[in-house]
Amino acid sequence: MAFLELQHVTRRFDNGQEGLSDVSLGIEQGTMAFITGHSGAGKSTLLKLLIGVEAPTSGRVVVDGCDLRSLGAKRMPWYRRQIGIVLQDHNLLPDRTVFDNVALPLQLSPLSAKDIARRVRGALSTVDLSDKGSLFPRHLSTGEQQRVGIARAVVTRPSIILADEPTGNLDPFLSRQVMALFHQFRDLGSTVLVASHDIDLIKDQGCRILHLSQGSLVQDTQLAGAGESS
Amino acid sequence: MTESQGMSGLSLDRPPLQKRLLAWFWDHKRVAAETTLFVSQRLVASFLVWLMVGMALTLPGLLWIAQSNLDAFAGQWQGKAGLTLYMKVGAPDAQISSLAASLAAEDRVQQVTLITPEQALQELRGQTDDSEFLRQALDAIDTNPLPAAFSLVLDDDASYLQLEALSRRLLTEPGVDDVVIQSTWLERLRDLSELARRGGTGLSVILLLAAVLVTFASVRLAIESRLGELHILGLVGATSGQMRRPFLYFGAAYGLGGGMMAIMLIAVFLNSIETPMRSLLLSYQLGIELAGFTGSFLLAVLFLGWLLGILGALLAMSQRLGGFSRGS
Repeated sequence: MAFLELQHVTRRFDNGQEGLSDVSLGIEQGTMAFITGHSGAGKSTLLKLLIGVEAPTSGRVVVDGCDLRSLGAKRMPWYRRQIGIVLQDHNLLPDRTVFDNVALPLQLSPLSAKDIARRVRGALSTVDLSDKGSLFPRHLSTGEQQRVGIARAVVTRPSIILADEPTGNLDPFLSRQVMALFHQFRDLGSTVLVASHDIDLIKDQGCRILHLSQGSLVQDTQLAGAGESS
Repeated sequence: MTESQGMSGLSLDRPPLQKRLLAWFWDHKRVAAETTLFVSQRLVASFLVWLMVGMALTLPGLLWIAQSNLDAFAGQWQGKAGLTLYMKVGAPDAQISSLAASLAAEDRVQQVTLITPEQALQELRGQTDDSEFLRQALDAIDTNPLPAAFSLVLDDDASYLQLEALSRRLLTEPGVDDVVIQSTWLERLRDLSELARRGGTGLSVILLLAAVLVTFASVRLAIESRLGELHILGLVGATSGQMRRPFLYFGAAYGLGGGMMAIMLIAVFLNSIETPMRSLLLSYQLGIELAGFTGSFLLAVLFLGWLLGILGALLAMSQRLGGFSRGS
């Protein structure tokens, strides 16, 4: 059984439009895959279904054998704490320092301030921002802000990393740096799913590519390439 | 990432109770610190909220104190219930002496004080200092126009009906012109007290609602300013309680601050009226100290402020945080 699984999932919006249309796919644990497609193809909708922010109109979203619908409002937060989410616009809080932004998910867990500080320092070190902890997001470049977003996503050591257009605002060099980080987390055991329309970047990563078009899965390809391991 | 453990396993169950309690404790500690920081960084705005809530709490507090004092005042007055009996002008001394003896023999009467026409005139002259006209009028008359009078103090437990019965009986005594029951004032005081109670209750409800609305508006603004953070918190797995907790703390802080402000305003007000009030009461031979501003009153004001703050916060959260229940 796949770790992340969509079984005949359809997601219809209130206006009647279908974000996803009878999509079935499975992603193995500890692997990295890309979802590609044009704007409106259903990439973000697929990620939102996996996060549990949206529910399928029909079909099942199954994670590690558990139908997300069965989690309910009580258990959903604990599921989400095991997901690292990276967004295109970073969603950093402008009035908090880099350190506090990264610490945000840990503040929900039973960790003391000392333990939180230790783990935040570790995450910032991973994205090579150890010396930027006291700065505010406005003092950082776009690439650095994206790395802060990644540090926040991985600081909880998530089992799943979901990234929505994480390189959308980055130049090719920074984009490859971000991809290298995702490979690193994959190697540490996380299951990584990245939504991106940057085909040139994706094809060098040597990963599985799921191509969506108008809400349907039209292509499922496994590539081998330079980015397989770093 | 330097530590790899824990990155692959997925647990879909809620953590054990001990872990959740620990998280709850740390979260309260963090939110309390954050709230202190939030309030201290916006001291002027916070002060204005406290002032508005405090003003809304002040009037109900003052009305409550006024009510307590009116009740105490009425109680003390009741202890001195009595009659004033006026003789006819020119009543003979023998008639007055005879009546004084029979009044002293009455069961219910504790004390009988005779005010002779001369004493009454002297007292009246003493009150004419401010009126030259009245003084000249009194100088112009040859005979004393004032009657002799008796001031009667009755037993503490004398009822109004007993006073009335005694009054009717005394009116039939020879030489008696009129009998005035002092407890008429008591009735008026009780009416006044009841009016204050009913009017004050309505006004207090309106003002307390205003206090709730002030905290509601302030907490709603705080929610609006933190929508981005709430969005992120929902995505990273904050529970509904964790998202709501900071705003409950804001509401409690605004309410408690408002309560403290109300206590200060009430203290200032009471201090400003204490001297003239005491002077007024002494003029009625009532040595009552202003009552009601006690430790339990202060605690009640603080608790009420806290409660109204929490209510305002709950109202704001129910209106604005419903959409975050799924973390969307």
